[in-house]
Amino acid sequence: MGIGDSVVFWRSWSAVSARTPLFSADLFRLTGLASFVDLRDVRAMFLVAVAYYIGAKVGFAFTFDPLPISVLWLPNSLLLAALLLTPTGFWWKLILAVLPAHLAAELPSGVPIAMVFGWFVSNCSEALLGAFCIRRFASAPLRFDSFHDVIVFVLFGVMLAPLLSSFFDAMLVTSIGWGQGDYLQLVSTRFFSNMLAVLMVVPVVLTWASIRLVPMDRTMLWRGAEAGLLLLGLIVIGVTVFQGKGWFANPAFFYAPLPFLLWAAVRFGPTGISAYLVVFGLFAIWGATHGKGPFLSGFPENDVRSVQLFLIFMSIPLLMLTAVVGERRKVEKTLKRSEERAAKIFHSSASPMVIVRLSDGVCSGVNARWEELFGYSRAEVNGHSFLEFNPFINRRDRRALLNQIATEGYVQDFEIDLRDRGGHTHRVSVTAQTIELDDELCGMFSVRDVTEQRNSERDALEQRRQLMHLSRVVMLSELSGALAHELNQPLSAILSNAQAAQRFLSKQQIDVGELREILADIVSEDQRAGEVIRRLRALFKQGETNFQALDLNELVSDVLNLARGDFILRDIDVVTDIASPLPLVFGDRVELQQVLLNLIVNACEAMTDKASTGRTLSIGADISSGHAIRLYVRDQGPGIPIEKLERLFEPFFTTKPQGLGLGLSISRTIISAHGGQLWGVNNPDGGACFQIILPTWRSQ
Amino acid sequence: MITPIVFVVDDEPAVLEAVTRLLRSADYQTRSFSSPQAFLEQHDAAQPGCLVLDVSMPNLSGLRVQEQLTASGVTRPIIFISGRSDLSTGVRAMKAGAVDMLTKPFDDDALLDAVGKALERDASERATHAERRSIERRLALLTAREREVLTHVVAGKLNKHIAADLGTVEKTVKVHRGRVMQKMGATSIAELVRIADRGGVKPAAVSCRQLIRPYWRGAAAE
Repeated sequence: MGIGDSVVFWRSWSAVSARTPLFSADLFRLTGLASFVDLRDVRAMFLVAVAYYIGAKVGFAFTFDPLPISVLWLPNSLLLAALLLTPTGFWWKLILAVLPAHLAAELPSGVPIAMVFGWFVSNCSEALLGAFCIRRFASAPLRFDSFHDVIVFVLFGVMLAPLLSSFFDAMLVTSIGWGQGDYLQLVSTRFFSNMLAVLMVVPVVLTWASIRLVPMDRTMLWRGAEAGLLLLGLIVIGVTVFQGKGWFANPAFFYAPLPFLLWAAVRFGPTGISAYLVVFGLFAIWGATHGKGPFLSGFPENDVRSVQLFLIFMSIPLLMLTAVVGERRKVEKTLKRSEERAAKIFHSSASPMVIVRLSDGVCSGVNARWEELFGYSRAEVNGHSFLEFNPFINRRDRRALLNQIATEGYVQDFEIDLRDRGGHTHRVSVTAQTIELDDELCGMFSVRDVTEQRNSERDALEQRRQLMHLSRVVMLSELSGALAHELNQPLSAILSNAQAAQRFLSKQQIDVGELREILADIVSEDQRAGEVIRRLRALFKQGETNFQALDLNELVSDVLNLARGDFILRDIDVVTDIASPLPLVFGDRVELQQVLLNLIVNACEAMTDKASTGRTLSIGADISSGHAIRLYVRDQGPGIPIEKLERLFEPFFTTKPQGLGLGLSISRTIISAHGGQLWGVNNPDGGACFQIILPTWRSQ
Repeated sequence: MITPIVFVVDDEPAVLEAVTRLLRSADYQTRSFSSPQAFLEQHDAAQPGCLVLDVSMPNLSGLRVQEQLTASGVTRPIIFISGRSDLSTGVRAMKAGAVDMLTKPFDDDALLDAVGKALERDASERATHAERRSIERRLALLTAREREVLTHVVAGKLNKHIAADLGTVEKTVKVHRGRVMQKMGATSIAELVRIADRGGVKPAAVSCRQLIRPYWRGAAAE
């Protein structure tokens, strides 16, 4: 069957096929297959069947006696391409679809029935094996744009599947006894023809099937022109080399198409090279089968083999080259895009950023926020050393910052003061990382202006301190009676002593020893009064907090001395049970005294209404657990209603008629700032107990 | 006469010492106690003198000490000294009979004046007390009948009325009356009446009938 026949057949078949969709749809609806097979599936199956049929016809056209096997057997590769384009679940339908095409193509050619089915099996198994392996091992749907996938394609689709099926095929042919030729010759002919077919058909089908149409623009026009020019060149070369005779049939002209193919590979990617390879291949095969071109040896069979090998050896490296070029281009594109993205992020970042070369401090870029914050424009900064602007307020900060980035490669939330153009100081938190730009180590510094934040924190701290002081003053004013008592004692002793001395002096006999004792007592009482004043002044003073190692024994006895008058006036017994020695605690003396004094005054007030026999205040301290000290102040008052136990620590919550409601809330703040806890409970035998846990000095 | 002693009680050793010194400089005899309990334990009510007492002391306040003394019948004049001026405490102390309330620090003259006044009061109270006790002693010498006669005498009754009331004769009453005068150490009826009054003897009741009856009864008898 010649090509002319196939054209006739194609015409008549296409006349039928024009009506096929409707026809098949009706048929399937009638037979109830509509739900089973999709209309689009039918169309695809039909298309593949037609392609298979045409491929077979072309294959027959390239079949040379006496070998029964074609030199360019297209159906298998068309089927492979179709399989690779469809989901695996669809494959059996394609196999079903090509069966009639196979029969239609081969039965009229006088091939034995057994041979026809044998070939069907070998063709289908080749395509299925190739498709399966490619799908299994390729990293993505095969589009010839990845080197790895091209290797997989060549190994399995081009080599393994055709080789295995060729052995099987040749075995069938020899066993049935169809045609002539020995076994190995059959194997090699079929193998090479299938290899070539796969190499020529699969790439072009797969790449062109995945082309997406986009609107034309100027660059596409230029590319179109280039492609046209390339095609023209290839045709000229093809005609010259493969149709030429005599001098042009020189084997050196094999290489003539190479520049054009390389051009296609580099410039037009898999889509281009696959198409040009087809054009080129057709020229070569056409020439060889017609006794023209550089492959002439006098035996067309040998010429064909040469052409096959030539095309195979040409196509494989070209496909690989294309894949490599494509991959590289993709990487470049990704890189460029990510660079653009990085630049965009840098410039549009909400944080001020600067890139500085670490070796000499030269700036290579600042973003808009940086310009805004520091008042220098990009043009002023770029190419200049960062130090020219004298931005560092504190030299030590600068050294520490640069040291850290040099040793660790990054800086996280490093707070320093920087000066802006106007000389204002900004407190900024710096986060930086080293990056390599143009082979030089640079630091990318991103800063966050925390000036406002720090200011407001400082204000809050100041307010807290003032409030603390206020509550201390309020508390001391509550204690004023007791404090007056404490001061009046020594003052009274001094006055009486002094007046006694005056009287002794007016006597005739002066007892010097008595006078000496009087004076000594006056001195010690004066010191005692001074001590009271000193303690008071410390509490009244509004100073900075000053953390130091403190002995709780001393602290408690100081506070008890201050509150002693209160105990006496309120007729309260004080029981202390403080373990000695106690580990030191780390804290502010005045603040801790304030807390204790507050708890003591509260406890005293709680017991005011009680019969005077049972007014006992207990203060104790011991080591609670390893690294903490427990302090308690226990009273025998009425206790605290459960629902008020926690509310006591809320600001402005008070149970006293004249209370401000600040004492306990501030006390808790103070203890928290010391890393401890303060809470209140009711004693099982009545009264309340306030407990403090403070970490010891070394454990902090 | 026994020298009065100024007792000083203050839990504050320095104040105690200073006050004691001041009193000594004014030539007073003093005894000092640093706790109210110690003072109460060693207290001798018979010892003339006064007490300088701190108001606020642990365990036992000055006011409680005053209460305890009063409860046990001791009327020792007290001068309170206090670490702070507290009106309500002052009022309570003065109501309970304190001589004065001084706020520390106090002037020497204030303390010494108060002590002088207190000792005076103590002396006069002691004198009153002593007289009353001697009268009581004398009253104890009387027989029941004599004591009965005394109550009628101090009621201002005539001998014959007394005899009538007691169911006896005027002569017997006269004898009893003479003995009473002698035992009580009275030289006149007026003095007897005064002594009996200080000794707390109550005059016998005199009714209107009692005043009238002797006339018609006597008339009948006569």
